[in-house]
Amino acid sequence: MNSRFPNKLLPYLLLLPSVVVVIVFLIVPTIQSLYLSFFRVSPFGDRLIFVGWYNFTKLFKSSDYVDSLMITLIFAVFVVIIGLTVGMLLSVLLNQRLKGLQFYRTLFIWTYAISPAVAGTIWALMFSPSSGPVTYLLKTFFGAEVNWMMDGRVALLAVIIAASWKMLGYNIIFFLSGLQTIPQELTEAAAIDGASSVRRFFRITVPLLSPTTFFLLIMNTLYAFFQVFGLIDIMTKGGPGDATQVLVYKLYRDGFINLDTGFASAQSIVLFVFVAILTVLQFRFAERKVFYG
Amino acid sequence: MKKLLVLVLLCLSIFAFGKTTINFWHAMSGSRLGAVDAIVEGFNAENPDIEVVAQFTGSYAETLTKAIASYRAGDQPHIVQVYEVGLQTMLDSGAIKPVFELSGPDYDWGDVIGPILDYYTVGDQLYSMPFNSSSAILYYNKDIFRAAGLDPNEPPSTFEELYEMGKKIVESGAAQGGISFGWPAWVFEQMHSVHGQFYANNENGRAAKATEVFFNDDFGVKVLAEWIKWAQAKVFLYGGREYDANQAFLSKQVAMLIQSTSSVSSIESKADFEMGTTFLPSIPGYPKGNSVIGGATLWVMKGHTDDEYEAIWKFFQYLMRTEVTAEWHKSTGYFPATNSAVKILMDQGWFSENPNHLTAFLQILSGTRIPEAQGVRLGNFVAIRDIVDGAIENAIQYTGSDYEGEAKRILDDAAEKTNTALEEYTLIYGK
Repeated sequence: MNSRFPNKLLPYLLLLPSVVVVIVFLIVPTIQSLYLSFFRVSPFGDRLIFVGWYNFTKLFKSSDYVDSLMITLIFAVFVVIIGLTVGMLLSVLLNQRLKGLQFYRTLFIWTYAISPAVAGTIWALMFSPSSGPVTYLLKTFFGAEVNWMMDGRVALLAVIIAASWKMLGYNIIFFLSGLQTIPQELTEAAAIDGASSVRRFFRITVPLLSPTTFFLLIMNTLYAFFQVFGLIDIMTKGGPGDATQVLVYKLYRDGFINLDTGFASAQSIVLFVFVAILTVLQFRFAERKVFYG
Repeated sequence: MKKLLVLVLLCLSIFAFGKTTINFWHAMSGSRLGAVDAIVEGFNAENPDIEVVAQFTGSYAETLTKAIASYRAGDQPHIVQVYEVGLQTMLDSGAIKPVFELSGPDYDWGDVIGPILDYYTVGDQLYSMPFNSSSAILYYNKDIFRAAGLDPNEPPSTFEELYEMGKKIVESGAAQGGISFGWPAWVFEQMHSVHGQFYANNENGRAAKATEVFFNDDFGVKVLAEWIKWAQAKVFLYGGREYDANQAFLSKQVAMLIQSTSSVSSIESKADFEMGTTFLPSIPGYPKGNSVIGGATLWVMKGHTDDEYEAIWKFFQYLMRTEVTAEWHKSTGYFPATNSAVKILMDQGWFSENPNHLTAFLQILSGTRIPEAQGVRLGNFVAIRDIVDGAIENAIQYTGSDYEGEAKRILDDAAEKTNTALEEYTLIYGK
């Protein structure tokens, strides 16, 4: 170590930029949130009144928050399951030797490259009650009148579909690279032994992909909890009623629309703790099933 | 050569430094955006030493949020457009310079239309600059009325008529739904004021800070129960929280629309059918009130130089100019804010050629000026609107048959949350 860095200060100096970024953009705001969560803050921030645990007790007594938590869990479970299964199946297909493969791959991956605002707009237009193609097709073929603005379940389904679609590209990229590390000999040997393609998929591909799957499980969970704000803001604004108000959206609404900074800070602390626990649990239990080869 | 260059640079710098820049943040999207830019360009052309920079900063809520964030960072704009809901927040903010301080005590505000002046006057002083005030009216599609066998010149004037006509329209297949609303919670407030009902205690929060809302009393329950009934019969199609419902009306999915009068111009220009407008429907047997003012005003932020405030006041006087006010009304549908603008418009025959531009105006002038109809002023009103919007959205998803019971349950729940929000507000600012 010392031989590589003759100057003792140099390593620290090289680390400095990232440390500064972490402190300024992560640590300081976190501490500020923690501090503010014990106050009631006036909209313009000129008055701070210490209220102790008020924001936290209000949070856990509020039926809205519990509802929002349930919605978030439903949302996250579906987004993760759809994202991982559809992503894995499509990747296996995209890993075949097909004509025009590059073209297909690009088509599936580009969803990750577009911004949440654009994705939200696309899906909002698709589901638009007055002029959307999805509502039109559902009506023509099934006679079902679907109005997500008046039906909370439809709205939740719509944002789940949109959010899973948006993350699909990301999942496919990682699954594809995972698939390419699986040695051909294994599948070939299994095929010679007479294993069907379904059997090969479940006995060889799935276990050998498990590190990728586990990584994506964590990433998709974090995505479903933290990164869906843009989509929901564009599509439903948390409505109708509170039907698609996931925790991050509620936090935004309370903090930035309703101007209740203290309450929103308390929510961000709780959300942080919650997701931290969830991630630890995933490492504890899901990682046991991972086969690192 | 060098001398010339220096001279040119000197002139340029004098020119650049001599110019007072006024940042003006607003929430006027769509066709309103062009109308704002036209006003600003007109003013800048006339005042070479001042440059007003108008910037669209998102929805009303987003604009308010941005203004607050910028104030906290010490980088606030000079003028910010804040919707009526933000009135109490702005008054208590300590971040504003009231308009009466800019105008001086001798300025005569008498030309401003009464109800607008009332809305933004606190203790005899005007706090923000009247700009885009509106009210809600009922729009209807005459072609659909004809197709459903209804008289296109007899739009509904009561809830009962609206329901019956809506049913006829849906059953005849003339349209998929009867009616849609923009700004549902605002329409709910309008219903209270039209029927002479207080929305909150302490005279709607105008005599003292409101501490309790009344919208879960019999009247509010009745209105919401009606809406649930309409929704179940497909007479009412929910269309979103702001202007989204306009799309349903324009695409002939619904025959009627309750929306701000500020959409008159844009709907008229886009509609490929004959459109009519009329007063808001009411329930007989209640006192006569009035529709209430909505829209926004311009607030001046603290922390700028005297020169800049002078420039702002110049800009405001320009806004008050009769021809500017009249043009603003024509291109949007917002109220012409001054009486002299109304006279000009009348003299030009504008109202007889464009009767839909007159509807909201006649409605507000024909109503009473009781305290119940003066408009609600609440702390945390932005949050409260959100609560009520959510309550309405929950109500119309109801599929049972106990309309009143469900409406009561939902409104009680919303009132409880609202009262907490009011209490928290007094916790910060006192009563």
